[in-house]
Formats: sequence, C-alpha cells, structure tokens
Amino acid sequence: MSGEINGPVPVGLTGDADAAGTDARFVTAREMGVAGCTRCGRVWPLETDVCARCGNTIVSRDRKSLQRVWALWLVGLMCYVPANIYPMLRTRTLAQVQEDTIVGGAVELAQHGAPGIAIIILLASVVIPLAKFFVIAFLAVSVERRSAVSYHQRQLLYEVVEYIGRWSMIDIFVVAILSSLVQLNALAAINPGPASLFFALSVIFTMLSAQAFDSRMIWDAQSGREETEKDE
Amino acid sequence: MNDAPPPVTLTRRRKSFFQRASFVWLIPLLALAIALGVAWQSYTSRGPLIEVTFANGAGITKRQTELRYRDVAVGVVEDVRFSEDLSRVVAVIRLSKSVAPFVDADSSFWVVRPEVSARGVTGLDTVLSGVYIEGAWDSEIGRFRARFEGQEDAPLIRYGKEGLVIKLRTTAGGSMTDDSPILYRGIEVGRVGKATIAEGGSNATADAIIYTPHEQLISPTTRFWDTSGFTFSVGPSGAEIDFSSFATLVGGGLTFDTFVSGGGGVKPGAVFEVFEDAAAARNSLFNASEVEALEMRVIFDENISGLAVDAPVEISGLRIGKVQSVSGMIDADAFGDERVRLSAVLAIQPARLGLQESVTPTGALRFLSDRVAQGLRARLASASLLTGGLKIELVEVEDAAPFELTVTEGVMPVLPTTQSEITDASATVEGVLTRVNNLPIEELLKSAIDFLESAKALAADDNVRSVPKDLRELLAEIAAIVSSEEVKNIPVALNSSLSSFETLMTQFEEQELANKLVEALGAAAAAGQGITASIEGVPSLVERLNSVATMADELPLPALVERLSSLADSADTLVGSEAAQALPDEANAALTQLTATLTELREADSIANINAALTSARKAADAVTTSTEGLPELIARVDSVAAMAETLPLPELVERLSALASSADLLIGTEEARALPADASAALSEVTATLSELRAGGSVQNINAALESARKAADAVSESTRDLPALIERIESVAAMAQDLPLPELVERLSTLTESANALIGSQDAQEIPAELKQALDQITATLSELREGGAVKNVNATLDSARRAADAVAISARDLPSLVVRIRDVLNQAGTTIAGYNKGEALSRDARDTLRDISAAADALTSLARMLERNPSALIRGR
Repeated sequence: MSGEINGPVPVGLTGDADAAGTDARFVTAREMGVAGCTRCGRVWPLETDVCARCGNTIVSRDRKSLQRVWALWLVGLMCYVPANIYPMLRTRTLAQVQEDTIVGGAVELAQHGAPGIAIIILLASVVIPLAKFFVIAFLAVSVERRSAVSYHQRQLLYEVVEYIGRWSMIDIFVVAILSSLVQLNALAAINPGPASLFFALSVIFTMLSAQAFDSRMIWDAQSGREETEKDE
Repeated sequence: MNDAPPPVTLTRRRKSFFQRASFVWLIPLLALAIALGVAWQSYTSRGPLIEVTFANGAGITKRQTELRYRDVAVGVVEDVRFSEDLSRVVAVIRLSKSVAPFVDADSSFWVVRPEVSARGVTGLDTVLSGVYIEGAWDSEIGRFRARFEGQEDAPLIRYGKEGLVIKLRTTAGGSMTDDSPILYRGIEVGRVGKATIAEGGSNATADAIIYTPHEQLISPTTRFWDTSGFTFSVGPSGAEIDFSSFATLVGGGLTFDTFVSGGGGVKPGAVFEVFEDAAAARNSLFNASEVEALEMRVIFDENISGLAVDAPVEISGLRIGKVQSVSGMIDADAFGDERVRLSAVLAIQPARLGLQESVTPTGALRFLSDRVAQGLRARLASASLLTGGLKIELVEVEDAAPFELTVTEGVMPVLPTTQSEITDASATVEGVLTRVNNLPIEELLKSAIDFLESAKALAADDNVRSVPKDLRELLAEIAAIVSSEEVKNIPVALNSSLSSFETLMTQFEEQELANKLVEALGAAAAAGQGITASIEGVPSLVERLNSVATMADELPLPALVERLSSLADSADTLVGSEAAQALPDEANAALTQLTATLTELREADSIANINAALTSARKAADAVTTSTEGLPELIARVDSVAAMAETLPLPELVERLSALASSADLLIGTEEARALPADASAALSEVTATLSELRAGGSVQNINAALESARKAADAVSESTRDLPALIERIESVAAMAQDLPLPELVERLSTLTESANALIGSQDAQEIPAELKQALDQITATLSELREGGAVKNVNATLDSARRAADAVAISARDLPSLVVRIRDVLNQAGTTIAGYNKGEALSRDARDTLRDISAAADALTSLARMLERNPSALIRGR
C-alpha cells in the first residue's frame, strides 16, 4: 500500500466524481507527498518550507491550529460573560438613566410589543455567538475524536461558522450608530455600555478562533479512521 | 523497491509542554490577568457597606438612589429591604472608599425629598431625579460603624450652615413653632429645629442654631420671643394688622433682642427662654436675670402706707429694680428717737443701669456711690393716683447735703433719702365731701316743717274761722249803707271827686311823679338782678329764714287775729251807728255838690284834663311795666328786708300792732269818728246832685263810645293773652321743678292746711257771704236805677265819656300788656333758673321767703291801714 502511493498521483484518481459529498475515500495531498499553499494554492512537495510564489509558509498540517482555536475560543468565551452581565446600552433621559443588558433589552422590547426585533436581537447577539462557541468547540473536539457527524457536514458547519461570524458585529454596529446619533445633551443621550466592548471582543475572538481552525484536519480524521479500520 | 528509502516511522517525539504550546495561549492568559486585575482593583477600590434604616422607603431605589455628601455622590443604595420585624426599611448603601473613614457614630442620614412650604421650595431637583439620601458627618476620622438610624428630617446643622447651637425653652405664655426661622431685624439668622415637649408637658424645648456671622448677636441677656401670627388692633387711627413676615405668619418664627448690655459669649448648648412677645421678654429681665441683684437699703422718715413689695425702683423713669422687702425700723441709737421708720430693701439690677464694663453688683454699687456723691437721693413717689401705690425714685437733688455711701463688707449699703413727692387726691375729695355733709339741711327741713305746722295751727284757729262771719256782718252793714238814700246821691259827689282827682293827676304829671316811679322801679329791677348774686348767700339766708320762721312760729298770731276780729267788730258797730246810717244822706249831698263841681268842670274843659290824667295813668302803667324788670332787684331788696325782718323784733311789732288796733278801735269808737259819717253823707248828697245833672245829658252815646273803648280794651287784652301759652309753659316748667321737690311731709302739711282752709270756707258763715253780697249788689242795682231816674243822667254821660276815654287809655295801656307779659316771662325765666340753681332744700327756703314776704306785706298793709284810719277815719266808709 505504501508502495502504491509513491510518486505523484493525480488527485481524484482513487475516487470518482460520483463520490463527491459522500464519505467515500479520497487520497489526500499529504498522502501524495505534497502540500498546497493556503494562500495562493500552489502545490509544493512536503519538504518545501516557503511558497516560492507568494512567500507563504507551507504547512501540510498545522499541528498548533487546535491550540490556537482553543485559546482564542477561551478568550472569546471569557469576553462573552461580561458582555451579557454588563449593560450594553446606557440610555439617559431627562428623568433617569436606563441601562440595558443584551438579554434584558431584548426582553423589554418583547414586552413592549416588538417581538420581531427582540427575536432578531436574540438571534444575532445570543443564539449565533453561543452556536459559534459550540460549533467551534465541537469541530475542535471532533478532529481528534470520532464523531457521528459526517465529514461533509462538519466541513459545512465550519464554513457556515466562518461566514456568519462577522454578522454578530451587527449589535455593536447598532450601538455605535445609536450612540453617535442620540446625543441630545441634557434631554437624552445613549452611550455604549461596558458590555459592548466585551461583546465586540468576544465576536472578534470567536472569529479568530474559527479562522485558526485548520479544516483539513477534518479529513485527516477520516483517513486516519479508515487506516485504523484497515488495521483491524 | 528496496532502494526506496525505508519507510519513515513516524515516531512522535514527546516535546515539552512549552515547546508544543502555542504563543496564542498568552492571549487568554493575558485576558484572564486583565480580568483578575480589574476585579481586584474594583474590589479593593469599593467602600464598605452600611445599613441605614428609615421609617419608609419612599423614593429609594436600588442601585439608583445616591448617597450624597455636600451634594456630591459618595455612595449608592445597593439594596433596599426590610428590617427583621418589618418595622423599618433598611437601605444598604455602598459607601465610596474616600469618605468611608469619616462615617462614624456622629454621622446622620436623611432622605431629601421635595418640600414646598411657606418659606420656599426645597429639594426641587429631587422631583425629576428622584430622592437621594443626604449624609452628614464631621471631618474627623472615627471608628467605622455599619448600622445607622436614618432621620426623618434634615438635621439642624449641616454643611454650609455652621453656627452657634443653643437650646430654646418655652415659658408660660410663650410658644414656639419647630423648624421655623429665627429672624433678627427681619433677616433670617438662624433656625429652630425639631421641638420636643418636656416631661410633664410644662414646656417645649428645641435646638436652635444661629448661623455663624450672627452668633455674636447672642449674649446671656438675649431674650427670644415668638413673632408668629399677627396682631389686630382697632384704635383712633383705624384698624391695624401687624405681622412680621408672611413666612412667620404662616409658619411661625422667633426673633430676639439684647435689651441690656454686658454678658459676653455664649457657650454652645446654652438654654434660652422663648417669651410670648417683646414686652414679656423685656420684662423678663427681672424674672430670671442671670446677674445677681444689688441689694440696698433705704430708710424713710415718713411712714407712709402704699409701698409694697415688688414696687418699682426707678431712675429717670427707667425701672432698675424692685422693692424686695418693706419693714418698720426702730433704732434709737442711729436716729435718736423711738419713732418707727420705713425701711425698704431694694434689689437693683446692675444690668439695667446700662453699665458697660462690669455688670456685677460691685460695679453697680460703685456706680451708685459715685452718683450719690453727686446728689442722687431716694424718695417715695406716687406710682398710681387710683390705687395710691408708691414707688421709689432715685433722683438727682441739687444742693444736697454731702453724703458718702459707706460700703462695708457684710452690711447692706444705705441710700440717702430726700423729700417725698406724694399727691394725695383722696384727701382733697374727702374734704369737699365733709363740707357738703356739714350743711344743715336737716335742720332747715325741720324748721320748714315747724313753720308749716304753725301756719296750719293759725288756719285752724277759731278766731280766724270767725273772720268770715265778721266780714259777713260788715257786708250786711255796708249793704244797709248802700241801700240808704244818701248813698244814692253818691254819684253826684263822685263826679266832683273825679274832677278833684283829675287836678290831682295833673299835679302829679307836673311833678313828674311817674318818672320818679320809673326810676324807683328801675332801682327795683337792679335789685332783681342782684337776686342772682344773692343766691350765693343762700345758706346764710336759709339760716336766717330758719330763725325768722322760728320767730314767726313764736308770733302771737292768734292774738293778732283776735285783735283784728275785735277791730272788725268795732267797725261793725261804727257802721251800725246812727251817724253812719245818716252818712248816705250826707254822701248824697256831697255827691250833689260833686255834680255841680263836675258840671263846672265840664264847662271848663275838664274832660281834656281827664284825658291828660288818663294819659298820665297810661304812662304810669308803662312805668309799672318797666318796673317789673326791676323785680329781681326788688326781690333782692325783699331779701334784705327779710333779713331786716329777721332782726326786727317782730313780736314786739305785733304787740304794737295789737296796741295800734286797740287804738284804732278806740278811735273808731270816739264820737268824732261817729260824726264822720254825717260829713260823708253831706259829701254824698253833693255827689248825688252831680249825678242827676249827668243823667240829663245824652248819656247813651257816651255809653256806646265807652263800650267801643271797652271792646278795644278787650281786644288788646285778648292780644295780650297770645303770649299766655308761653307764659303757662314757663309756669308749667316752674311747676315741674316744684313737682320735683320730693317733700312728702311738706305736701302732707300743705294738704292739712288745705283741709283747714276748706273747713274754713265750708263754714256756715263763709257760705252765707254770697247771699250777703247779692243783697249788697241788689242795693247797688237799686241805687243805679235811682241814679238813672234821678237828674244825674247828664252827669253820668259826662262821667261815662270820661270813662270811655279812660277805657281808651286802658286799651292803649293794654297794648303794652304783651311786652309786660314778655317781661313777666323773663322774670319767670329768671325765677326758673333761680329755682334750677337751687337744690331741693333751697326751693323750700324760697317758699318760706315768699311766705315771709307776704307776712311782711300784710304787716305793711296793717300799718298803713292803721295810719290812714288814724289820719282819715272817713276813708273807712268811703273805701279809699
């Protein structure tokens, strides 16, 4: 078997197009002794350190990827806690100062007859960030352990997380716009609360965490498992 | 395939943790470090929690209500909960670390809420922002304390309002409104805090603060009083409402003043009393003066009642103290005799002397001894005219004998005295009353009663009662005379007599007798004016009258009456004598002669003469009118006559009268007197002849003219009566005054007198008088008819003509009657005022005087009658 894979083998030779989207066995570039540049896509032999075309570091598998994922994930989670405890908005009117946390504000909106907006805020500020934490954690764990979820679905999850992560900043966006627009001096003023900073940090770190994840490891797990299945 | 490199055994080299670990782990570590750092910092920077309990938690909101100190937030309420027994609200406050050390046991907390009152609006900012908790503590670091009792209201002393804290206590009449301003000259210089009622409710006390710049106004002699509410007074200048300010009107307030100098500083917590008003506060200086009083002794030589304990001691009208005790003092050694002297101990307030330097008894004593050396003396003075109370005045006496105030330790200094100045009003009034009391009113009344008693006895006398009988007999005799032939001839004689009368009148006119009469009457008028003046001497007059009345009482009137009676008897017998009977014949003859004379007279323009005579008579009447003006003076003279009468030996006079009457009696009884009628008879025969001539003339026309004149006279009289109502009014008022004389006894006497008079009139003899009169008149009528038939008609005509003229004259004189009436009214006016001027006793004396005057007149008449009879006995028969 090891002899068979010696020498360059065109990708996809070991499978056919019909196998796409299935868990069919594919030959990885690493198995073929090459590694692709993640920036410009040029394929180099495994030994190559630096992409001669774009200067990017050629790494077949980033072994420290998971560490980065976990570290950034942890920071993101740490920031997410005060982001929900501290008030997001500080609304000062003539009579009083009102401070709303993210959830509190959404609940208040729902109570005042705006459930739609409340749902949007809840989705953007609570559900999505929390889902991101879970998905990233799941992906990171599933790379090293078995998972019932198919490799394709995991890949899909990763892509969704990475795509949708930026939209979580919409909350911060709203706060920034309100703060800049509603400044009526004595009458009323809206200022961002301390939670907005933490929330922004949390979003940033979860995005970085998602980016730090090397999705190629999903597939290593597949090949690795098949190897163990063969060994048995 | 063998040259192929050996399969690479992928042995995973165990690297160390740090070799395998990515640098990215620094990020969460850093984040953790930052978080921990922030947490640590916030933990260390936050202050302690304190718990403040309030009665209610109105407006206190969790995490929002701030704790402020000097209006700066130094904490926030972290929690609001109830105390364990739900009785209080507990506010858990997170203190700022910077102020935490200062919050110790002295701290106080209260909730600032919006408040709208008459004095303004406070805490307005809390309307929008909500309440906040204000904290106050001093600037000294103390031991931390976690539990506090919140106050319901803002404490009196807080930041920016430092000042002198004193305690105020209400007095008996004073009141106090808590949480009200303290004003000085209308400016708020302090504030009264919450008042509390003392145990037993006797007074209320409250803390008060005088703000810093004004605390120098307070001294130990400062007095506070209440200025709340308003005063309303109605006086001569109208109604006045007075109140200090609107705020004090609604919310109450206090003000204060320092009435006396001295004092010095006041320590915080000093107690002051609150009085009802300024006057009470001012007077209170003596009630509870902080300064000890200076005691001095004053010893007065006079021992006058009226000086009481607490009587004021004044210097220049300013009250400087009071009399502490009053006692008698006997000190033979010091004064040299055993007389009781008045010793008073004075308590002099040094504060009231206005001493600047040392407000102490010693200072006051030094001041007073200086003044005594300059002549300051104590004296008693009237404090009140009504009560007769006395006070002690300290006055400067010029040229005072030098006196040195001896100041010995332990001995009360003695103030020198001077002449007292006491006005004794009661003594003067008492003297007046005593003199009034001494007037002999009762004796006067008694004399009057006695006099009336005598009058009654006189009237009731049998002799007096028999007078009418004698009169009747006398009239019967006269009737007999008249019916005699001779009398019928009288008209003739009358005619001649009239001519004689005319000449006589002419002579009178020539002699200006009338003018003399006028003068005499003028003198009488002056005498009338003098009566008013004479009233002043009434008391003495009354006394005289008393004695006169007594003398009159003693007069042997009954005997006089008896004499008169016998005189009448004698006359009776005289008339009844034959000669008297023959008298008519003589008279007839005389009248005949008279007629002849008249005839001659008529021929010789005698009528003109008569006219002139009547004019003279009219003038005489005028003179009489004017003479009435002189009546008051006349009355005065009568007074003097009465006075003289008093001195007259009346009994003696009466005796003489009696003797005179006896003489007259004898005279009448003489033969010459009896021969008189014969002469008269002759005269009357002449008159008769004259009348017969008169008859012959055209008498009817003359009668007509005479009647016309009479009518005019009647007119004049009626005209004169017009003024009668007014006169009657006067009389009525006089009567009213007389009515006011409540002398029941006198009235009783009068009524008995009247009764006597009644009995007199009702006697058989009196009733027979009319019959006799009628008889006499019948005789006259017969005489007249005979006259008409006789030849006297002509003469009568002439006579009637004269009478007509005479009537004319009367008419003219009657014209003057109104003025006469006016004069009489004036006289009555005067009499009225005179009566009004008298008191009741004097009115009585007036009556007595009138009576005496009548008696005097009667005596005069008697005298003249006797004299005339003596001189001309025939007048008794002729009636002239």
